[in-house]
Amino acid sequence: MIELQGLTKTYAGKTVVDDITLTFGTGEFGVLIGPSGCGKSTTLKMINRLIPLSAGRITLGGEDIATLPVEQLRRRIGYAIQSTGLFPHWSVARNIATVPQLLKWPKSRIDDRVDELMTMFHLDPAAFRDKLPHQLSGGQAQRVGVARALAADPEVLLMDEPFGAVDPITREVLQAEMRRVHQQTGKTIVFVTHDMDEALSLATRIALLNDGRLIQYERPVEMMVDPADDFVREFIGQADLGLKLLSRRWVHQYQRPPSLAPADALPEPGSHWWLVDDQGRPTALAGARLDDEDAVTRVKAEWVATPEMSMKEALSRMVWYRVMALPVVDGDGKLIAEVGMQGVMGMENSVQTPPATLASTAVRPGETAPTASDGKPA
Amino acid sequence: MPAAEQPTRLIGNRVLLTLVITCLLGVGLLPFASMAPNRLLSGQSVSAWVAFEPWQLATLAGLLVLLTLAACERGLSRQTSHGLALAAALGLLALDFVALGGYAHRALAEASPTARVSQGSAFWVLLFATGLIMVDALQRLRPPPLWRALYAAVALLIVVACFTTTLLSPLSIMREFANQRGNFVDELLRHLTLVAGALMPALAIGLPLGLLARRRPGARNALFSVLNVFQTLPSIAVFGLLIAPLAALAAALPWLRELGVGGIGAAPALIALVLYSLLPIVRNTYAGLAGVAPGTLEAARGMGMTSGQILWQVEIPLALPVILSGLRIVTVQAIGLTVVAALIGAGGLGAFIFQGLGQYAIDLVLLGAIPTIVLAVVADFALQLLVALSRPSRAGQGKTT
Repeated sequence: MIELQGLTKTYAGKTVVDDITLTFGTGEFGVLIGPSGCGKSTTLKMINRLIPLSAGRITLGGEDIATLPVEQLRRRIGYAIQSTGLFPHWSVARNIATVPQLLKWPKSRIDDRVDELMTMFHLDPAAFRDKLPHQLSGGQAQRVGVARALAADPEVLLMDEPFGAVDPITREVLQAEMRRVHQQTGKTIVFVTHDMDEALSLATRIALLNDGRLIQYERPVEMMVDPADDFVREFIGQADLGLKLLSRRWVHQYQRPPSLAPADALPEPGSHWWLVDDQGRPTALAGARLDDEDAVTRVKAEWVATPEMSMKEALSRMVWYRVMALPVVDGDGKLIAEVGMQGVMGMENSVQTPPATLASTAVRPGETAPTASDGKPA
Repeated sequence: MPAAEQPTRLIGNRVLLTLVITCLLGVGLLPFASMAPNRLLSGQSVSAWVAFEPWQLATLAGLLVLLTLAACERGLSRQTSHGLALAAALGLLALDFVALGGYAHRALAEASPTARVSQGSAFWVLLFATGLIMVDALQRLRPPPLWRALYAAVALLIVVACFTTTLLSPLSIMREFANQRGNFVDELLRHLTLVAGALMPALAIGLPLGLLARRRPGARNALFSVLNVFQTLPSIAVFGLLIAPLAALAAALPWLRELGVGGIGAAPALIALVLYSLLPIVRNTYAGLAGVAPGTLEAARGMGMTSGQILWQVEIPLALPVILSGLRIVTVQAIGLTVVAALIGAGGLGAFIFQGLGQYAIDLVLLGAIPTIVLAVVADFALQLLVALSRPSRAGQGKTT
């Protein structure tokens, strides 16, 4: 979808982006990451020509972007930034409608699209349509900013540290929404951040930059398992590497059928089972407590897992609520599986050879695995 | 303000109390009107005790008591106190005019036809104190722009009613007005034409220059230094300086002379007024445009707006409150400066002032001065209202308590 070829930017003799070559495939969630001043934002802004390139070439869907009229190019590319850049004198709806209006869509189509996007980002259209940006919280404003970037259904979405200025709790909620929106829309996204945890939770491919050069371009798990050099290893951080890996693993890869209460006999000592109500929802867990093996624990909403939850979060809940297993429920709250502490440990033995299920979540169908040449430049 | 603070403060609104005391002292100690045998001789002072009828004195006392209550804010909510002050101020305004007009009618009924009654300093003290009470109460109450406009309209209606009926007609200033009636309308229109004629070109030149200052940082310093020089020149000096070159120009180019351009008259006045208006317009246009957040502009560019769309749809609407504040400054300034332009034969309300000064006829001076002040105050108020309405974040929000 987007190919950067020998991309270079020099300011007054200083090279800030140095010969970067990489490809973001269709549907890729590509993250540009690196320390401050590594050239990640500059690289992003060269894609929509906010910054002219000094050398190299960028193609979008095979077309050289230098050959396209610049306004036309930008209307094909969604753009969201850290300060949101919402127009303070326009309502939320008018802000979201910016690009469709530039493209002269008919009014009814714009209205429908605005409502659709506001619903997608959990902003009630009736309540938020006519609000002005200064009446929104930071998280709401950022949602409007991303909705505005997606309004005209662009081929590509560029995001420049969009969640850098919101509080940590809101940031996690927004990241989860971004993952969901990416899955729903299949958009090609290029996302700039300096936060490795954010990159690991969002990216299908991470491009790590330092001093304007591309150090490694790789899927998140592979980058953790097989860092190109000490800089990459250090940047990822070694201390909680195990937890970082778990942030890229999903409950549905680890879950197993739930053990239900035996009908006729007492359970064996050391085992556990789930009690369910008549609609199949888990109500209590017998056993599987660290402190008291025979305890019966009432199931609370806070420690229920879903198949899409990361294993890092599942593990965190197990530790915090002191249980050895979590119930996995579907959208209706029905018990469909369980995930346990033993499962986490057992699966991690196979880390050196990532399981096939992992690849299916990290790489979309039709996309080829990275080759040595674009993954690790000399 | 926390409620617990109220009992500890004896006086809630010290400004209002000061103004009430000012009214009392003014009415008690200063002459309310003066009576002269003819228009040129200075008159004899008449105190309020003589000029006011008993019921008027009683009303005055009642209104001042109400205002004192409002100032103390004891046992009244702040909203009620300010509302009370606003209402009492309207009464005071009407009373001031009614008392003066009533006295003039009574005093002149038994005097010679050449006798003149003029307003005294107590009248002015009462009038200005009333105006300040209104401004103070409005600022404390912070009503929405439309309520403010409505209140101003009521106050204006009272004043207009006093002037259009026969109430004030025996006053010396109104007799001057009656003598000059035809001239007055002419000069008022000429004054307004000069102001408008200066503001249009000033905006037409100033707005693009402000944009230039924003777009070309290199041009900014040079531009502002030149405009600063204009602003520091005394207005009379500019009028004087323009006489020679314009006269020479008109002599050299007959078609210019046919257009009415000459060393004296409207041409130098307009040129000077435009020069004085430029700096505030350019400076505020620049400041308004520079105040647009960089993130907003980056987003606008990133979404594919053309530079024209960014200017008209984003930069100008966001800069508008600041630009209008600049327009407010130059409008009030131009109304005042046009008075001086009468010196070089441009006409306008200043003509009465200088004529009155020459004849030592104070009421003729006031005939020029008072309408100028009213024009300036009305223009200021109207443009303030526009500034308030052009702010997006305030408009839809209403009052928050």
